Amino acid sequence: MSAEAKNPYIPYPVTIEDITIENDARDLKTFKLVFEKPEHKKAFSYLPGQFAEVSVLGMGESPFGIASSPTEEDYLLFTVKLTGTVTQELHNSEPGRKIGVRGPLGNTFPWDRMEGKNILIVSGGFAFTTLRSSIVYMLDKKNRDRFGKITALYGARSPGELMYKEALKEWQEDSGIDLTLTVDREPEVPWDGKVGLVPNVLRELKPSADNTLALVCGPPIMIRFTIPALQELGFTEENIILSLENRMKCGIGKCGRCNVGSKYVCIDGPVFTFAELEELPAEY
Amino acid sequence: MKDGVISKQDFPQFLNHLKKNAKVFAPVVTNGEAGFKEWSEEDSVEFSYSNLKLSPKGLFFPQTETILSFDAGSVEEVPSHEEKMVVFGSRPCDSRALTFLDKIFSEENKGYNDPYYMNRRENAVMISLACSDPCRTCFCSSLGSGPADEAGSDIVCFDLGDKLYLKAVTEKGELTIKDAGKVLSPGDESVRKDAEKQTAEALESMNNLEADLPSVKKNMDDSFDDPVWDRLTRNCIGCGACTYLCPTCYCFDISDEERMYKGKRIRTWDSCQYASFTKHASGHNPRKNKKERLRQRFMHKLSYTVENQGEVFCVGCGRCITQCPVNIDIREIITTFAEK
Amino acid sequence: MDSKAVGNEIQKIAGELFRDDKIDVFIGFERATVPLKSRPCFIGKDEDGRIENLVWDSFCTNNLAAFLQKYFENEPNRRKKREKPYPRIGVSVKGCDTRSVVALVKERQVIRENVVLVGIPCQGMIDRRKVQEKVGTAEIVSHRETDDGTLEITTTDGKTRTFKKEEIMQSACIDCRYPMPEGTDFLLEGEAKEPGDGGYGQIEAFEKKPLEERWAYFEKEMSKCIRCNACRQACPTCWCKECFADHTDLKWIGVGNHISDAMIFQIIRVFHQAGRCVECDACYNACPMGIDLRFLTKKIVKDVDELFQYVPDFDVESTPPLATFSEQDKDTFITDPEKG
Repeated sequence: MSAEAKNPYIPYPVTIEDITIENDARDLKTFKLVFEKPEHKKAFSYLPGQFAEVSVLGMGESPFGIASSPTEEDYLLFTVKLTGTVTQELHNSEPGRKIGVRGPLGNTFPWDRMEGKNILIVSGGFAFTTLRSSIVYMLDKKNRDRFGKITALYGARSPGELMYKEALKEWQEDSGIDLTLTVDREPEVPWDGKVGLVPNVLRELKPSADNTLALVCGPPIMIRFTIPALQELGFTEENIILSLENRMKCGIGKCGRCNVGSKYVCIDGPVFTFAELEELPAEY
Repeated sequence: MKDGVISKQDFPQFLNHLKKNAKVFAPVVTNGEAGFKEWSEEDSVEFSYSNLKLSPKGLFFPQTETILSFDAGSVEEVPSHEEKMVVFGSRPCDSRALTFLDKIFSEENKGYNDPYYMNRRENAVMISLACSDPCRTCFCSSLGSGPADEAGSDIVCFDLGDKLYLKAVTEKGELTIKDAGKVLSPGDESVRKDAEKQTAEALESMNNLEADLPSVKKNMDDSFDDPVWDRLTRNCIGCGACTYLCPTCYCFDISDEERMYKGKRIRTWDSCQYASFTKHASGHNPRKNKKERLRQRFMHKLSYTVENQGEVFCVGCGRCITQCPVNIDIREIITTFAEK
Repeated sequence: MDSKAVGNEIQKIAGELFRDDKIDVFIGFERATVPLKSRPCFIGKDEDGRIENLVWDSFCTNNLAAFLQKYFENEPNRRKKREKPYPRIGVSVKGCDTRSVVALVKERQVIRENVVLVGIPCQGMIDRRKVQEKVGTAEIVSHRETDDGTLEITTTDGKTRTFKKEEIMQSACIDCRYPMPEGTDFLLEGEAKEPGDGGYGQIEAFEKKPLEERWAYFEKEMSKCIRCNACRQACPTCWCKECFADHTDLKWIGVGNHISDAMIFQIIRVFHQAGRCVECDACYNACPMGIDLRFLTKKIVKDVDELFQYVPDFDVESTPPLATFSEQDKDTFITDPEKG
């Protein structure tokens, strides 16, 4: 076992192979990372929902949801929003730069429970990352049969702020998924998707709650209004799955920072059912 | 050999013997204050303290330590801590506190092993000094512990005035005593009785809060949004001294220090009492008031750790009570929720 | 001065202020759970019963001005004007507390009209560390203050000792030039202690020492620092929402306890107090390691006094030196740094 695997604080060395600008505001970039050592790639075995700590030696670390699916075997994808010192350093980087990755960390979406079910995905803004991972995973030929109907609703402030535009185009053509896109306001550019906030469009679409699990990721305010909408549609608290974010450092449940009540977002989460969250204080 | 006796006068011989194979840490007065120092022959071991200002947690989990060093974007070196240590003079409450920290830093905690802490722990022999004269602010007996608690100790040492009685508690302790050979004389019935008597008297002298800890937890869990927290926390100035002195507090920060692409990633003590502890990069702060942060401290120690580690993370050492500039008293918190 | 009478008078005034609906909160002092200490006491509108807890003695050391700023703060980035009216706070103040309130008013952190100051002529506060030093390692279990200015303490061995107040007074109080509050809304009857001379002589004596000796002293004190930030939190005029020490972008200093980080933290903190520090000893009392912080603060007070003829006193109208420029301002520290 390599030294890095025995010591959970040591990042695996990776190289930035490619950087894609995701939005018009140019503050969201997707980084394609490649492992330097094959044994690290092998050790980094993950499922959608998990996150990793991306490490820039000299600046620090930041946790990001893994945007790539394990079916995309040769690389990892992370979409990073420019907010602070580490993300600024990442945004200023060029392909070829060596950085580090620690992970995979946290729990996954409940793939055991999702077997054989219909899946509804509701997402807004730049929280869509781990859901990209989930959609690519489910649509993969090897996996598609394991799941029923897949419906997705993804919204952003404007068309330019939607991420993964190439993938979105592909999915709109793909019969394996029913994808609806929405923007908050009538846009200035030609647009043939919906217009309206995600919770309202959700009510309009009336997806069935029958044998369905809902994966919800978005900014706190979107979640606050989406959950009642889902409950109106008949979704139970156990069937609404959320992914939380909190400030993190170690990512392995030791530094004491990310707890919500007795649960730590980095080891007991970031994926929680709405039923589980109801038991916890609203400290997130 | 399960126990040993040595006169206080000859005690440095025992420490010298231990020093041959390990670094020995013992309470020594420096700058007018007793604290754990790496012992050498010129140092005189201090016995007359009730407890030291800083607990031995800093020997295993230092205030500042290097996680890794790097150069030009690559990890260069990862420190490993294989050196042997003997820690003499930790009070039973502080040794017990280390067993709680073990539950956080070891593999027991979701399979992640913290090698920096655990290596030091595995390479250390703990010789605790049982209490003969507990302070008014000590309340270990209210938390299921006592002045001669063996948790976390390899050897428990009793200060019987002119002599010291060493009682092995673990195999490591037995080996340590056996290894000392002629430096220690074997214990006898009278010395054991003296030690027992000392412990019984010490226990007798302590006030017990008479609080049922499971009820405290239940009441705290039920009262999360109760206005009682406004009343209990309004004195707090958020100084964080309690968390730094506490032997069971372990929150830490990780940051990088570099100069011209060379540097290190360090781990430093941090405190849930600071406003920036939980502040997101977006500016959102889940615990933006002092009340929320102080409530977190008590919920963590008296409720969450019970759920996750099976222990109340307080050993009754009383340091927070003595030092708090505004006299927030954890005993009052416990009794408030015991009665509710 | 009869401290019981003072306590009763404070209770009377607090009661009247609540009855006449002049305040929403009263902040005073009450008995603590440990000896040699009184702790801040908050009383809300519907907590009349607590008024009888208010006391006054020589252990009311906390600077209560430290609690005022949070009542008047707006949320950061708040676009709408505040709709709720600001609360009205009654607070019992000594000379130093009053001067801190004045400093905060000048910095627009406290609204003077919303604060009712109950001034108490100060006879000086007792430094519990000095008392402890005099009894060594024995534990003090109770104290009794007599009206003729002595303190009687009892230790666990049953012994009683008496000390004259002058022997154990806080150093800040010995030097204090402003023991009688001015500009308060109420002023209790009674005499304050004789004003001190500011204690600049100690600084001058220290400055005569050779450089190596001064550096050694500074190093010795700073090596005790565990970067717990208690000094900063306890200080009434340290109110920055984000302290320079916590900045990550740019990162001014590390967060560990490397001595250079500790030194720079203290130096910058003290410089930020230029023209604002009232030498109340809150930092010294909060520091769990007992670092001689007052030495650094006294130096900055002396420098500002000598360079700008300004000491933060009771005058609300005077402009703090760092907020203004005068043609008389010396610039010899630029042109002739050796002379200063």
